[in-house]
Amino acid sequence: MRTQRLALFAGPVVLAGMLVLVVAAAASAGAPAQDPAEISWALNVPQATPTPEIPLESAPPVPPPIAHPGDASSTGCVDCHAKVDKKQEAISEDWRSSIHAKEGVGCADCHGGDPRADQITVGMAQANGYLGVPSRAETVGLCGGCHANAERMRPYQVATDQYSKYFSSVHGQRLLTADDSRVAICIDCHGSHAVKPASDPTADVYPLNIPNLCASCHADADTMQPYGIPTDQFDIYAQSVHGKQLLEEQDLRAPNCASCHGSHAAKPPRSDEVVDVCGKCHTATQALYEESAHALVPAVGPKCWTCHGTHDVSEPTEELFLHEGGVPDYLCATCHSPVDQSLRLEIDQFEDPADRRCDTCHHERSQIFAQVEAIAGAIGDAKTAYDIALSRIGEAAALGMITADADVAAAEAKTGLIRARAAVHTTKLASISELTDETIEKANDAEAIANGKLDESIFRRQAAVVVIAIIILNVLGLMGVRRRLHAKD
Amino acid sequence: MPDGLQQTTSESDVPTVPDANRGAEEPAVPRRGFLKFLLSFSVVSSIAMTITPIVGFLAPSKAANAGAGGKVLAGTLDTLPVGKGAVVAVGSKPAIVVNTAGGVKAFSAICTHLGCIVLWDEAASNIVCPCHDGRFSPATGAVLSGPPPAPLPQLTTVVEGNDIFIVTG
Amino acid sequence: MATDTRREERLWGPLEWAESRLHLGPFIAALLHVRIPRDAKTFYLGGITLFLFVIQVITGTLLALYYSPTPGSAYESVLAITSDVEFGWLIRSIHHWAANLMIISLVLHMLRIFLQAAYKFPRELTWIVGGGMFGITILFGFTGYLLPWDQRAYWATTVGTEIAGAVPLIGQPLLLLLRGGPDVTEATLSRFFGIHVLVLPLMLAGLTALHLLFVHQQGLANPKRPEPRPGRPGPDLTTEKTKPFFPDYVLDELIAWYAVMAAIVILASLFPAGLEAKADPLLTPEHIKPEWYFLGIYELLKYVPRDVGIIGPMVLVGIIILLPLLDRNQEVRPRRRPIALACAFVLLVGLGYLTILGGR
Repeated sequence: MRTQRLALFAGPVVLAGMLVLVVAAAASAGAPAQDPAEISWALNVPQATPTPEIPLESAPPVPPPIAHPGDASSTGCVDCHAKVDKKQEAISEDWRSSIHAKEGVGCADCHGGDPRADQITVGMAQANGYLGVPSRAETVGLCGGCHANAERMRPYQVATDQYSKYFSSVHGQRLLTADDSRVAICIDCHGSHAVKPASDPTADVYPLNIPNLCASCHADADTMQPYGIPTDQFDIYAQSVHGKQLLEEQDLRAPNCASCHGSHAAKPPRSDEVVDVCGKCHTATQALYEESAHALVPAVGPKCWTCHGTHDVSEPTEELFLHEGGVPDYLCATCHSPVDQSLRLEIDQFEDPADRRCDTCHHERSQIFAQVEAIAGAIGDAKTAYDIALSRIGEAAALGMITADADVAAAEAKTGLIRARAAVHTTKLASISELTDETIEKANDAEAIANGKLDESIFRRQAAVVVIAIIILNVLGLMGVRRRLHAKD
Repeated sequence: MPDGLQQTTSESDVPTVPDANRGAEEPAVPRRGFLKFLLSFSVVSSIAMTITPIVGFLAPSKAANAGAGGKVLAGTLDTLPVGKGAVVAVGSKPAIVVNTAGGVKAFSAICTHLGCIVLWDEAASNIVCPCHDGRFSPATGAVLSGPPPAPLPQLTTVVEGNDIFIVTG
Repeated sequence: MATDTRREERLWGPLEWAESRLHLGPFIAALLHVRIPRDAKTFYLGGITLFLFVIQVITGTLLALYYSPTPGSAYESVLAITSDVEFGWLIRSIHHWAANLMIISLVLHMLRIFLQAAYKFPRELTWIVGGGMFGITILFGFTGYLLPWDQRAYWATTVGTEIAGAVPLIGQPLLLLLRGGPDVTEATLSRFFGIHVLVLPLMLAGLTALHLLFVHQQGLANPKRPEPRPGRPGPDLTTEKTKPFFPDYVLDELIAWYAVMAAIVILASLFPAGLEAKADPLLTPEHIKPEWYFLGIYELLKYVPRDVGIIGPMVLVGIIILLPLLDRNQEVRPRRRPIALACAFVLLVGLGYLTILGGR
């Protein structure tokens, strides 16, 4: 009897408990994660295997500058070499046009010897400190002897960190560890005798010339063959938004290779560095990204290059949201552990631009998909409203109406649209919707003004038809009078 | 017949005619009357169609007087104390008015980067374009930071009493 | 005649009132009751040009009531006329299209006179006065074009006055005179407005009165035979077929005027006058083009040295104006004037081709 009563009592309790669980599960499944604190489930994702960091070989100490007799006014070397043969004449001309010649850095500062003498046996005697042509490994130290010395370079307000930076770069490290004489050293980019400041438009290191400079080695299949590095970066970059802006528009604000890879400390940026590298110029976008859910999972979340690419950066469009015609079959194991289906994201970059979509990761059955769809829809609606307004205004202008006031409203809508698109980086539906609603409102205002003008244009044509009809009646009347005049004769 | 239009015939002038001719006279009268009607309609309609737009044109319209005198009211010193700025419409172009320590300044509100409408950032005391975080100086319109390639064109302001006007041109 | 007692005519009341006081009847009758050769094919072009000029005076006066001739407010006032003033768009568009049509009809009128050799004895003065009217009309177009003070107006005027400044000898003073200074500024706008609205209308009205007086005195030319010279035996004129000026020709002219009005209404409704961006002296547009009637000369300057390109058209205009004094051939029929017609053909085709090229 008592067990029966217990069972009767327990039944509803268990049922109620199950109901609570089901409701809770449904609630948590349906609610889009707008508050970053709610995505704790993502924070528990195991870290992706980080790229093993190879410890850097430290830079050798800076050798002292070469001591030699004479000073900037001693021109014994160049006076003779300018007349020796064509090759030496060219070298002398190079030096004369350089910044070194202007600042009194002469032959002996790099080659040693006695620049006061006009006799080869004196000027180029080993006893007098002549060193000849330095080796590639020696050259870095030679340049660094002056250029890494703060006191020496102080009058020229030139940086002195190039030497240490160089040895942190891939080039410098290979020079040190692998004794690789093929890597770039100072003179490969700056020239040996015709050294010019980076602000000189004819210098190889002038910002607009840097892509071609780097490509002179990095686009050459033979040079890069031992390293297994791709050689198509320049071609890809030249097609990108950045490349077109720099190479075709000659825009100094556009990034060249060194802007992202560094110049002296040249190295491809790491995954944890990308946002800062892009954010150096795209400050507003970085600030927006830092607010997003993606930024909360720095080890595994998408970075700039996940969606926008690296060398192939192109103008972002609404296409980046969802795959057209459905998501292709990505392997579940790409993102989920086959053991317990927990997230195991290891993909940072997508080689194929067609994969760079929100729904590649946030697939249709994922928790976030509803939010992704809502964002894509909001931006799409805003763009459609803006496009409709623009086409209406275009129609009115084509009919000869003055559309200045409609243009102002359209400019306001465009501002809203640009801000809404930028806000996509926050992944917050609320912020994005606020901006898209504002955009749609302004676009509708612009369209209304344009429609008013179109109606006015139609009214004018109708009135013109009436006027033409009156004129025709008048003409017929006059013609009738005219005929009557002579009918009476 | 030189005075074709003005002629009138009186019955006494017409010589006695056989009946056949008299019959021909009668239809001529309604035709002449119809022609006169047609002519007067022609004159009246022509005059009406010409006078209507002229009279309509001469009637002053409120909207046309808004920009009269070459200046537009942009605000007052009460609504725009020192440190505050606002975007107003000058004719069909948006302008930003800022009351700075060095006087009231006004600039075109169209950002020189991609054409967004700029805003006044009170906290930072500069003009900001919300699209890409371009910043402009409220004193001269010069670019302080960000992607805009050129400064904002400056507009002339004149303060009369409490009113702030932007002078067009 | 109104005073003919053959028929007792009563004028309309108010007319009778005026006539009994002013006795203008005989004067008006003398103006109207002339006869014109039935062969004269005028196509009413001269009258159409006059009609268009009257339209310009009326619409121009209306526009001047709202227009403000200073750089600070000219553009805004034109924008207000086009957008805000009731029928403003219509008055402005009519003014724009009537200007273009006036130049076209003026050129066609000159062409007709040339082809029918109506500029020869005794109508030389009429032609020369007409040449002056042509020059004034072109100046109307040039000065009026600047008034909206938008980018197109400002830069077309800059280029146009620059070309004027390249005229040999008097170029620089001429440029300063036109611009009111070394550059196109508010001084330029002021004097262009004054010239367009006061100086040129008065001059054109005066020359038109002269032109019409001459035409009335001499009548219309007969395209089939030259006018008989005094003291030389001429053909028997009594059998020539004529028709009355009033009311026949006047009625036809009125019908033509209505047709022109219809054309203007259609053009103004379908292609209303537009406005570009406000003039910015610091921003040179990519393509500066003058108005279509200057395109031919503008294009010519690209192919020939500058001096030739400026002196050439000036000499040409001089020849055209002084044509009656230069053309000694007394024939009026086209078959007897091969050289004249050939020259005209070459000129028209060349100018037309240059204009089309310039429009690209």
